[in-house]
Amino acid sequence: MLEPILPNVLAVKRIPHASADVLRAYGADPSKHTSLGLITCDQDDSLYVALDEATKQSDVDVVFGQSFYAGASHASGRLSGEVLGVLAGADPQIIEDGLTATLRCLAHDACFYDADGKGTVTVFPHVISAVGRYLAADLGVAVGEPIAYLVAPPLEFVVALDAALKAADVRSLKIITPPTPTNFACAYLTGVNAGDLAACEAAATAFAAAVVDVALQPTR
Amino acid sequence: MSRTRSLMAQLRHARGENAPLVPTMPLPRVEAPPARVYVPARETTSTTAAAAAKHTTALLGIGHVGTRYATDVVLQFQAELAVAHSAVAAELPDEWAAQHGFLPLQSQATSHREFLLRPDLGRRLHPDSLARLRKDAQRGPQNGANERTLGAGPDVQLILADGLSAIACMGSGEQLFAATKAACAARGLSVGTPVCAKFARVWLQDEIGAEVGAKVAIILLGERPGLGTGDGLSAYAVYGPKIGNTDGERNMMSNLHARGIAPEEAAPRLAALAAAMIAQGVSGVKLDLTGIGAGGREYRAPQVRERLVVRDA
Repeated sequence: MLEPILPNVLAVKRIPHASADVLRAYGADPSKHTSLGLITCDQDDSLYVALDEATKQSDVDVVFGQSFYAGASHASGRLSGEVLGVLAGADPQIIEDGLTATLRCLAHDACFYDADGKGTVTVFPHVISAVGRYLAADLGVAVGEPIAYLVAPPLEFVVALDAALKAADVRSLKIITPPTPTNFACAYLTGVNAGDLAACEAAATAFAAAVVDVALQPTR
Repeated sequence: MSRTRSLMAQLRHARGENAPLVPTMPLPRVEAPPARVYVPARETTSTTAAAAAKHTTALLGIGHVGTRYATDVVLQFQAELAVAHSAVAAELPDEWAAQHGFLPLQSQATSHREFLLRPDLGRRLHPDSLARLRKDAQRGPQNGANERTLGAGPDVQLILADGLSAIACMGSGEQLFAATKAACAARGLSVGTPVCAKFARVWLQDEIGAEVGAKVAIILLGERPGLGTGDGLSAYAVYGPKIGNTDGERNMMSNLHARGIAPEEAAPRLAALAAAMIAQGVSGVKLDLTGIGAGGREYRAPQVRERLVVRDA
């Protein structure tokens, strides 16, 4: 129970000098972006956290990050997984630094956890101690704030989110209820007091514990 | 160790799960920075390079600071590159040719960008320009449908053109054109109607020269800018201009600018070249250059590199 389920990186490609139409189509700005880095992975939320990490270690911008319908088990191809992330930067070295940070984070930090000992219920109770430019812009918080990035299947999520909000002095930044592309539900929490990392950690721990409880006793 | 992973490990332990977890991959080792620290003083090791640098504008004997160039060398390089970039980016205004007494012509390139990307279009005249050339330029008598006998027209057809540097064309182009025209006239060669071609490549001289039936066509055009030299002209001369001539049939002079070969120096040499072509009936590699005697083979003081960046003492 609660063993890490490591994300698998399925494809990593670089385009040193992308054409303007491709840059525009994926949300980049041809006047400041030249190069692209592409990555697919079988865990969407882990990749979002890793892309955010890249914005802290490199000048890359995350211009595209979308989950695919029905998740990795129903991918359109062997290399598709459940998410495509696109990094854009002014030169290939920036992309290289961004991809290095992304891969490092996927290997060592962001991952789902097994909530029932069989891998049939999973939970993503991730704490980001200092949020990067990508998620900060999406959530409307200052860069560097701690956040808890919480993901679970639909019913487990409701119980667990309630437990997380009651466990510590936290507030929600954004709650995404199902149906979603992968049909998981998601919430982003931060401390009521700015910079309260301990509150985020307590909330994430309570969230994970509540998902485990539901998984072990789903009908009682 | 990941913060979230240690939290989950604690929670797992608190719930009574004590089976060991699969160890995570070790973090890659971060290389230590190089121990050697460079002092920011110019090091010059080669006296030979420094001596050679006095005779050329090439980047010789510029020294180094550690493994890098000195700052003023880098700034000078960037400034010179900027000069070259802006020369390539410059476009000859449409009205410039007419205002300066030239018959305005244009190649088949319709925009500056297209001109840069499509050398083939720059080598042929636009239909409107072709019609204007046939109507307004001095030409030899007709021989069949728009065919002209070689030499039925003027001895020399001079063409001014923008080429890859409109700045050079507008700068010393007119002066070089006038000087060359006068030098040809002084040798008794007749010179055709002054024409100025926009978006022109060298080979455009073949079509223009053939249309007017000139013996020799000389095109004076802005040359590909180099470091710090955006105002250089090149002159290409060909005997018997006709579409299909190759570069083996051309003679050329480059670096025609104030710091290289000045217009007044270049003009008599171009006229001598044209006279030799007409006398021998060939041009290019077949042309015998011995005994032309137009100068240019004696010692010439080296060019001086223009300082665009001044180094603080």
